[in-house]
Amino acid sequence: MALGLVPSSHPTQNSRPRRFASTRGGAWLDFAHMSALQSPARGRAGGFADWIGAAAQRRRLVTEAFVDTFAAWGYEYLATPLVEPLETVAAGVGGGLQAQLFRFMDADGSLLALVGERTVSVARVVSTQLQGVRPPLRLCYAGPVLFNRPPLGGRRREAMQAGCELIGHPGLSADAECIAVAAAALERAGVTGVQIDVGHADFVPSLLDSANLDAESRGRVADALRGRDLVAVEDALRGTDAGDAERELLLAFPTLRGGREILDTAGARISAPRPRRVLADLAELWDVLDRHGITASVHLDLGAVRDWDYYTGPTFELFSADLGFPLGAGGRYDRLLAAFGTDAPATGFVLHVDRCCDALLRGSGQDGMVEALRLAYSAVRAGEAPALAARLRQAGIAVALELEPTARHHEEPVVEGMARLDDDGAVAWRYRGEEGRGVEALLSAHARDAL
Amino acid sequence: MSGGLRLALPGGALFEDACRLLSDAGVADIDASRFDRQLKIATPTATVVKVRPTDVPVYVEMGACDAGIVGKDILWESPRDCYELVDLHFGACRLVLAAPEGSPLAEGRFPQSLRAATKYPIAARRFFDSLGLAVELIKLHGSVELAPAMGLADCVVDITATGRTLIANHLVEVAEAGRSTARLISNQASLKTRSEAVNQLAAALRRTVTAGAAPAAVT
Repeated sequence: MALGLVPSSHPTQNSRPRRFASTRGGAWLDFAHMSALQSPARGRAGGFADWIGAAAQRRRLVTEAFVDTFAAWGYEYLATPLVEPLETVAAGVGGGLQAQLFRFMDADGSLLALVGERTVSVARVVSTQLQGVRPPLRLCYAGPVLFNRPPLGGRRREAMQAGCELIGHPGLSADAECIAVAAAALERAGVTGVQIDVGHADFVPSLLDSANLDAESRGRVADALRGRDLVAVEDALRGTDAGDAERELLLAFPTLRGGREILDTAGARISAPRPRRVLADLAELWDVLDRHGITASVHLDLGAVRDWDYYTGPTFELFSADLGFPLGAGGRYDRLLAAFGTDAPATGFVLHVDRCCDALLRGSGQDGMVEALRLAYSAVRAGEAPALAARLRQAGIAVALELEPTARHHEEPVVEGMARLDDDGAVAWRYRGEEGRGVEALLSAHARDAL
Repeated sequence: MSGGLRLALPGGALFEDACRLLSDAGVADIDASRFDRQLKIATPTATVVKVRPTDVPVYVEMGACDAGIVGKDILWESPRDCYELVDLHFGACRLVLAAPEGSPLAEGRFPQSLRAATKYPIAARRFFDSLGLAVELIKLHGSVELAPAMGLADCVVDITATGRTLIANHLVEVAEAGRSTARLISNQASLKTRSEAVNQLAAALRRTVTAGAAPAAVT
């Protein structure tokens, strides 16, 4: 993450270090310390970020909002290691992602990897320690994942991910629940204007199969779709004897989006049973989503291009108008657990915490840093200060107790974000734009602000 | 952000044609010369920025722009998560393997070991891999055709539009490694969250280039 640095004020004295405020969230950097960034011993690996101030707080709160939502829907929290055997990771991810893993060697020579996603770890736990637990299993996680790719062009190499896995139920109600949980989690974190794109992993493959293509053209079209290269899709379809309806649908792919009505539009042009079954599934899924009350933000997307080898049923992606990347993604993956010896249907999703933080920041432009109230006290009242701090904390105010009492000859002026316990036991304070005297008044100011 | 799409155009050889295409298609009425003084122009229908060709996929992938126009040759070398929507047909050029006149390679015989100089290492690697040839690639940033003359490489893999530069440097085309034209690319989220606008843009550009009003016909 690049810190956008803007000068907060013009330095007037040479003796004062120049201070710059980060636009990304309240972190302060002393200009005098920036030369430290050049020192190799104090450097930071490219593509990684320190999270400081409001940015750090936002990241933690968003993660908590996600996990709290998952728990509220009955998903049990699971913590899995950051390191997995390479073969475990390889069972879950395709070649492209495998090449992007940080890999290293264990003492016995076996290969290990830092996890690039956490669904495989959950699948491993389900197939081992949780084997025999009566399905369905509702599990959730939150933690960092790492990618060993060149840290160019703003791509990060570490990301915080939180997600859910619903294991042991093959039906569309499970898929719908995952979509609903993901939407609820984003809402709880304060991400607004979320758009949910729902597709099906078998739609394009089934269309390709029923399009009368020879194996080579079929492969070329599939590769082009995977590469999101519609020009190549057109080239690959040219000169083949694909049926008109299928060809038209494959070429119209980015426009095959909308509400439930697009299923009828598409259905009218398709006669093969397999793609028709997909359309019927999506219609049923739509109805379940409607019962969850979230279809207002759902688009059906028949041209959704996802990893067809991994996903086996409905898939979805979550977008915000404020961000160029999906906030999260998920879908049904009925084959993964078989790779761990447990043949069970499964569906789930992952939310990208850092991207959600970006979307929050761009959406509101607000910097939600909550700074602790600094509590100063006179030497006479030093004995009561910890109890007063405890009382304020109990009411939900973050309080940093001064480490030394205020000197009598130098009574500290009360500035914003500060309270002062005086000799006479009076408390003067300035808190979130308000100013007053007395603990009760401070508590009610806090209560007003919390609203 | 609600007022129209954000479009990235490549400075350089494709720039004027790209501007003309946007005007002809009724997407944004912009004249290339207006970019002499500024890099960002907001019209009622779109915000257009002029960036280095290699930066177009960066702006689009990161969501700083919803869509962009860029040569396929640039996309070969910066594989990014964008949708490639329309072949715009202008800016046509070819990636070719070329060798010095009279060399064995120029006569169609591939030597045991080969060193190739190129600005396009990814596309060149893919080409040699498809032929099953193990070739040592030397990545250069310009004047690739000089490399064989100075003994830096046995051959080049380079872009040619007319073939004149090859001839001037006594190089002979041995094989074609790829064809490039300008493409319309789109950000993955914009295609979903601004799908109507992006699809309209794609349709308008497609109509204009297939109607024969393509800038390619002009040059």
